[in-house]
Amino acid sequence: MYPVPFEYFRPTTLDEAVKLLAQHGDDAKLLAGGHSLIPAMKLRLARPKAVVDLGRISNLNYIRETGGRLAIGAMTTHAEIAASSLLRTRCPLLPETALHIGDMQVRNKGTIGGSLAHADPAADWPAAILALDAELEIVGPRGARTVKADRFFVDLLQTAVGPGEILSEIRVAPTPRSVAYVKTEQKASGFALAAVAAVIDGRTVRVAVTGVGATAYRAAAVERALSAEGLLTAERIALAATHAADGIDALGDIHASPEFRAHLAQVNARRALTRAIERR
Amino acid sequence: MIKLSSSFEIARPPDQVFAALVDPAVLQRCIPGCEELKAIGPDAYEARLNIGVAGLKGRYSGRAELRDKHPPESFTLSFDGKGTPGFVRGTAKVRLAAEPSGTRVTSDAEVQVGGLIAAVGSRLGDATARKLAADFFRQLATEIGA
Repeated sequence: MYPVPFEYFRPTTLDEAVKLLAQHGDDAKLLAGGHSLIPAMKLRLARPKAVVDLGRISNLNYIRETGGRLAIGAMTTHAEIAASSLLRTRCPLLPETALHIGDMQVRNKGTIGGSLAHADPAADWPAAILALDAELEIVGPRGARTVKADRFFVDLLQTAVGPGEILSEIRVAPTPRSVAYVKTEQKASGFALAAVAAVIDGRTVRVAVTGVGATAYRAAAVERALSAEGLLTAERIALAATHAADGIDALGDIHASPEFRAHLAQVNARRALTRAIERR
Repeated sequence: MIKLSSSFEIARPPDQVFAALVDPAVLQRCIPGCEELKAIGPDAYEARLNIGVAGLKGRYSGRAELRDKHPPESFTLSFDGKGTPGFVRGTAKVRLAAEPSGTRVTSDAEVQVGGLIAAVGSRLGDATARKLAADFFRQLATEIGA
């Protein structure tokens, strides 16, 4: 189906994009890689009157290390992240996660910022961003502000990015090699039925889950069980991983019941933690 | 056929909650995206909805009917609507139970979805339905001052 008619804008600076959003209010929608918005528009589930394409804003696509942090522009594609030698050495969870997203076509066009701002409950990036304890920079009419990953995902398809604001940058600290992303995907769509990102950095263990609840989340009970002194033995990890869906109202659909999703979260938490440790 | 179950607590006695749940004026204010709701007969309504989450919305129009009313304990709601992305029809059995802190409302719905939303929207269907139900009951609680 064709989308309903809309006005198309192609700003070349972030300032210009923010002004366009202010002008068009709720009628405007930002276009990044277009792999969620365009299908929704074709189905007429989304009917923005104005589409603001971020594709010509030159300084939103980069991967660099500054001041001990890795900064990724919101319009950086999944494929660029997968191929980044800087990230492979300094933050390997990001390229590993990128390779799990969709197919080659999706990775070549889809962007990390677009995916995060859309906040699909089964998207891959949210788990990685949470497990890396990332910071997200959001630009709006009153300038830029920074939000921590654990405050970013508000509800189903809803983030801390407010009306009139644009997600501009994702920042993470470098990690050792002991990270892993383990996903069980729905075969046709490639979306996660349940996927777990794990980061083990010295005594710090962070575990995040996507695909299970209405938003991705940090598996606090798993992290707590692994925070005490002592070796991370296989038994200890297996026990901790059983808490991967504690307190979560798991979603169900034709592909996986809530119980099955919660079970997959536990299994994948164990596998992700085990793999992360093997990589130390 | 999709089964959707939800359960919410409202800090008001069952008779007040029941009255609110069958009051078209209250429903119009509480149903997310309800643009119009009018009575077309005893316990029968016609509604127009613009419903969904975030930027993903569909427009529907249809009818709803209340049956088997047993105030303040239960009723059955049947609905049949169609819109741009497809059709939705089904029945919901709603039960109210007194609790020390108010009323527990339990709804068990069987919903049939067809057309485009069935083909494509099914992945987000459950999550969307749950969020809409939660929004509805939150608004209902505000509406009756709980």
